[in-house]
Amino acid sequence: MKIVFRFILLAALVALGVWLWFVLFPSPERIIRQRLAELARAASFSSGESDLARLAAAQSLAGFFATNVDVDLDVPGRGQISLAGRDEIRQAVLGIGSRLSGLKIQFPDINITVAPDKQSAAADLTVEANAGGEADFIVQEMKFTFQQTGGEWLIVRIETVRTLSSVTLRFALRRAAFIVSP
Amino acid sequence: MPRWLRIVVIGRNPKITLVRGVILAVLCVVGFKLTLLHIRVEGISMLPTYKDGSKHFVNRIAYIWHEPRRGDVVGIRLAGVHLMYLKRIIGLPGETVAFANGRVLINGQVLDEPYKEPDCVWNLPPEKLGPDEYFVVGDNRDMPWPDHTFGKVERKRIVGKVVL
Repeated sequence: MKIVFRFILLAALVALGVWLWFVLFPSPERIIRQRLAELARAASFSSGESDLARLAAAQSLAGFFATNVDVDLDVPGRGQISLAGRDEIRQAVLGIGSRLSGLKIQFPDINITVAPDKQSAAADLTVEANAGGEADFIVQEMKFTFQQTGGEWLIVRIETVRTLSSVTLRFALRRAAFIVSP
Repeated sequence: MPRWLRIVVIGRNPKITLVRGVILAVLCVVGFKLTLLHIRVEGISMLPTYKDGSKHFVNRIAYIWHEPRRGDVVGIRLAGVHLMYLKRIIGLPGETVAFANGRVLINGQVLDEPYKEPDCVWNLPPEKLGPDEYFVVGDNRDMPWPDHTFGKVERKRIVGKVVL
């Protein structure tokens, strides 16, 4: 019985050690996943937020991006939209905030590939955006490129990915049928 | 409980029966998870075949023995399988797909599509599919084509066939 107890204790200690190792020394992939979760939270806002709160949110959102960030998006009805640098992103975020009553951003699927030198990484992800609590939602596959700068993983590039390449490259509104794994 | 009934229900050795039951349950759950994806349809582009909110399964091993076929309704992954497109395959690799007055033309021949509504007026120029590409579209062609997401998709994005 004593041996069994010692074995269980040893296993528990090993498990605790492994858990602590992952908490204290997280892998780049884990850090990037956390950054993306924080980004989704920072980009989301609800109705009734003050202008000051929105300004602070835009400021905090800009902190996820490198100073030389490059954003290249295909937007329905507006074609190609390109943004360069944190300031343009901050302005765009403020513009969106003033037009929408609320926004909820989620990344239901994320695939991260870290470069061998562990200084850059690419995240292929699905963006799900719900504006103002409406039933319609926007879904788009995107690629985020990260670079480690000063110990921080910052986004240096965002681009849309063509899941279906056709004559109609558009963001898929809810009118498109999606299937969701519950 | 009579002895014979107990043997029938829980076996001669209840411990072994319990272990067998647990192993069988684990195998069933793992097998089910690996082969079938439980899904919920969101949106109207597959009407009238698949209604908004309806629940189905995607068979992930449907294309182990053969490649996707014309008419199959498939799940198409974006970055993963938590959110996928639900579309019908109308064009196979190497074919040319076009829309003329709402009718689908495959290599210039009209495709018979009993599953879709007849009120369709789409006109789109021919698109040639690559050796690893399929052409997918929803069944609801009543809606204007600019609002409908469809087009060429690579084979690797097809997760499986929608069943049940």
